[in-house]
Amino acid sequence: MSRFESFHPLVIFLYYVIVLFVTMFTNHPIVLLCALTGGIAFSGTLSTGRQLLSDIGFYLLLFILLSLANPLFTHNGETVLFFMNDNPVTKEAFVYGEFIAIMIIAVIFWSKCLNQVMTTDKVLFLFGRVVPKLSLILAMALRFIPLFKRQAIIINNSQKTMGLYAADNIPDKVKGTVRVFDSLIGWSIENSLETADSMKARGYGLPERSAFSIFSMHRSDLMMFGLMAFFLLLFFTGKHAGLLIFQYYPTLGQINCSGRSVVLYALIALFMFFPSIIEIMEKIKWKYLESKI
Amino acid sequence: MIGFAVLFIVIAVSRIEILSVDEYYLTHIDDIKKDSQVVTVSIRCDTILNNMDKLAPELRDEKYVPRDGIILEETQYVLRPGDTVFDVLNRAVRYNKIHMEYQGERDNVYGSAYIRGINHLYEYSCGHLSGWMYKVNGKYPGYGISKYKLKDRDKVEFVYTCDLGRDVGGSFYSERN
Repeated sequence: MSRFESFHPLVIFLYYVIVLFVTMFTNHPIVLLCALTGGIAFSGTLSTGRQLLSDIGFYLLLFILLSLANPLFTHNGETVLFFMNDNPVTKEAFVYGEFIAIMIIAVIFWSKCLNQVMTTDKVLFLFGRVVPKLSLILAMALRFIPLFKRQAIIINNSQKTMGLYAADNIPDKVKGTVRVFDSLIGWSIENSLETADSMKARGYGLPERSAFSIFSMHRSDLMMFGLMAFFLLLFFTGKHAGLLIFQYYPTLGQINCSGRSVVLYALIALFMFFPSIIEIMEKIKWKYLESKI
Repeated sequence: MIGFAVLFIVIAVSRIEILSVDEYYLTHIDDIKKDSQVVTVSIRCDTILNNMDKLAPELRDEKYVPRDGIILEETQYVLRPGDTVFDVLNRAVRYNKIHMEYQGERDNVYGSAYIRGINHLYEYSCGHLSGWMYKVNGKYPGYGISKYKLKDRDKVEFVYTCDLGRDVGGSFYSERN
């Protein structure tokens, strides 16, 4: 269990909401870069280096695709590189596409981390009182995808042991995949029935039932609330003062490098890197204590 | 599978025509002779001058909105047989190296090109009722730019509106009512 995970669920949830909000509602290059690198760093501390590298490889491909899509459809901008079907393809459109791609990939990375850190019990704890049905459905739906994946691997393996492995040609492979998918669907229907029965047997829906949870507020959680409130205040004052506006069209604007804005960038970077810093500090502490034994 | 992918790429690429910047602006404009048919073309954005507060801040520059509102002065261009308003505009804009973005006639349901922006002034650049309109001989035809075939001595005016055409003397609403 990581240090960030041991914060109160509300803290984790609010932190994510703020990060996603800041990422999605600014198009300032530095903020987006901070969000992306922060997300990658946090996802790196949560998973192995190899997993992270393969993730980055995949998202690099996505990045190229996304950033090439914008100049195909937007032709605004003064620096024309060439003309395609009589419409200009411009440098500005490329740059804008790149930063939109960075935004999307940053959000994906943060969501990956969220999936790992906000476990089902935390979701139920947070929303169980307010929207009990919805939070249950959400938790179950989110759980369903990894469950499906795991079951698909199991079915595939059992098919292999039965000698039904796919040969090299494509039609056979497709047939094999369809067979696995077929039994997966059958299994999932059966599984949902079993889940329903099991829930009924355990008394789901009976009145006067309470849920057990072990989450409690600590001093560090309260400090996190203060920090987040401070950051939001700072972010909005910065936004209001126009420090987070960046112009892409028709010419690229300059990145504001005045003292005030540099401080703002540094604080945003600190906020985005906060979870990974905590993780790394915790790891160092652990290694240190371990070495003393 | 791979065959399909290759076919798709070939089709996509065959529809793409790439020109370098110099090639693109190297447009041939016929010389006006005594017997040649001509049309006059002008591009103006006067209305923005009265609505500077609504204009997007990055466009508040004389590069984009000239002080007199004239992007292209009234000029005569040779009318080639079968030319639509769009063909003439496209030639004029290219010849004068003015930026233009349009949606091709194959890309929308009206079967006519749509002018998104000229000289970096786009639709919605000056309030949500703004965009480009065109007049032929002082009247708004009210239909697509590449559906209107021009005649000799026609006068084509492109005007930027900030109020759905009401500020440049023509609007579908006033005509209908």
